[in-house]
Amino acid sequence: MNTTPIVTNEDTVLEALRQVIDPEIDCNIVDLGLVYSIAMDEGVLTVKMTLTTPGCPMHETICWGVKNVLSGMPGVRDVEVELVWDPPWHPSMMTEQGRAITGAR
Amino acid sequence: MEATLPISSALKPAPRATPTTAASGVTAASITLPLRFMLAGLAALTLGMAWIILQPSILSTYHYNQDVIAATHLFVLGWISTVVMGAMYQLVPVALETRLYSERLAKWQFVFHVVGFVGMVWMFREWNMKQVGHFGCVLGFGVLLFVFNIARTLLRVPKWNVVAHSIASAIGWISLTILAGLALATAKCTIDFEAETVSNWALAVDRVASSIRRFDPIGAMHAHAHLGVIGFFIMLIVGVSYKLVPMFTLSEVQNRFRAAASVILLNIGLAGAFFCILLRSPLKIVFAVIIAAALAIYGWELIAILRARKRGPLDWGIRYFLTAVAFLVPLSFLGIVLSVHSLPLTAFTGQLENVYGFVGLIGVVSFAIIGMLYKIVPFLIWFGTYSKHIGRAKVPALADMYSAKLQALGFWSFLTGLLVTTSGILLSQATVVRIGGVLLLATVITLLVNIGSMVRHYFSPQLASFKPAASSIK
Repeated sequence: MNTTPIVTNEDTVLEALRQVIDPEIDCNIVDLGLVYSIAMDEGVLTVKMTLTTPGCPMHETICWGVKNVLSGMPGVRDVEVELVWDPPWHPSMMTEQGRAITGAR
Repeated sequence: MEATLPISSALKPAPRATPTTAASGVTAASITLPLRFMLAGLAALTLGMAWIILQPSILSTYHYNQDVIAATHLFVLGWISTVVMGAMYQLVPVALETRLYSERLAKWQFVFHVVGFVGMVWMFREWNMKQVGHFGCVLGFGVLLFVFNIARTLLRVPKWNVVAHSIASAIGWISLTILAGLALATAKCTIDFEAETVSNWALAVDRVASSIRRFDPIGAMHAHAHLGVIGFFIMLIVGVSYKLVPMFTLSEVQNRFRAAASVILLNIGLAGAFFCILLRSPLKIVFAVIIAAALAIYGWELIAILRARKRGPLDWGIRYFLTAVAFLVPLSFLGIVLSVHSLPLTAFTGQLENVYGFVGLIGVVSFAIIGMLYKIVPFLIWFGTYSKHIGRAKVPALADMYSAKLQALGFWSFLTGLLVTTSGILLSQATVVRIGGVLLLATVITLLVNIGSMVRHYFSPQLASFKPAASSIK
């Protein structure tokens, strides 16, 4: 399989994903630590991510938002969101900025 | 080869991906379904608070009369049950990661429920128990649809946990509450045996009525009330807390045995208390202590969940809810005191019973529901308005949809109103009860204004553009 590394553009992808917020917590999904990995394969961008809790009522909305924000980027033919629960999300996965936004202890 | 981004510095090594199966099956009910229940409930709450102000004697005098019973059913059926049932259609699928069995049944239940409770409250006020029974049957049919719908939804739950068990218990208790209520209404009806024809059906109803009349009517009424308030409302507060409080505070259940013990003991305590209250048994205090123990264990677990939380300051919605839960402490204490068999029935103990009912329904259940409405209603409106725009435009957070200052004002007004009204009840002072009622109504007005702000987003979404577009990916 021909996979194109996108390491040089990770800031671009992350910056785009910062537009997707969890409206309950009022923090974007990157700084919440919900995004686990991103891979590019022949124009298909796959985002592996989780949610703060299984059965989160925002699950469809957030996945939809990720697709929306990335599918408009040049060079991206399709976006796949792979929702995973292992490892489960934990607040320690938040960035410093995420902790500041949420007031996490 | 896959390129993995160092997305979260704390995540080492890179996660092993396990595609989800559970979440993909989650589908909450459409937003209009729970919203119609909530708006109808809020209308009943407003009317109920206005009733306290206009007729404060319903709280400052003993509670066995038609106006008190009518007002109580307005609060219990019109406000609390309506909102709780609407919220359950939304929350049960979310909390248990499944789908609601049927939205159509839920819509029909709404119609039966509203017709039933409006008719019941009206007929209680007229003290026409025959019509109370008829409207009670309409409401009861709606509850049957509700119980069937939630039970079928529970059957879809792949993995049962303490939340599912508490919901199953709650729908069992609400079924028994309705049956007990209909039996009480039947017992108060008499058949005109002088009439030319008395049908077999009427004779059968009369036999049921005669068997219910053997019980002390006040004891039977109290037993019925405990089934509904503890079995349905408190059971749901306890059970659903184990999902919602960790979700809103970024924490998790700390001890599953403790959580399970609280639900099991609550069931045992209520089953025993029901019969003891009905039969005026001296063993009532034993089961009151068991219920208090269940609530103490619940409080213990809740404190542990909150101590482990990662979210810093608690928002006002959670503060409303937790303050309501704190009222379980004086409520349990009062419940135990009123369970002492040798307690004489004086005017003061009668007022203590009023305080017990008032703190239970308004201080605990209503306060908790108002707190949760501040979490559920913005979510529903946000979901209906902004979910399709996420990732395309800058959307507001839930907390941006209403005024936190007004919410805080409502909190303090409610707390003060509770204390003032309770004092008025204890002192049998109608004027003090009226002042307390004004403060409580003020909170309802702040809630309505805030809900108006939320609804405004539905008709006039507040979207902003993103920052300039990102560069291309190579």
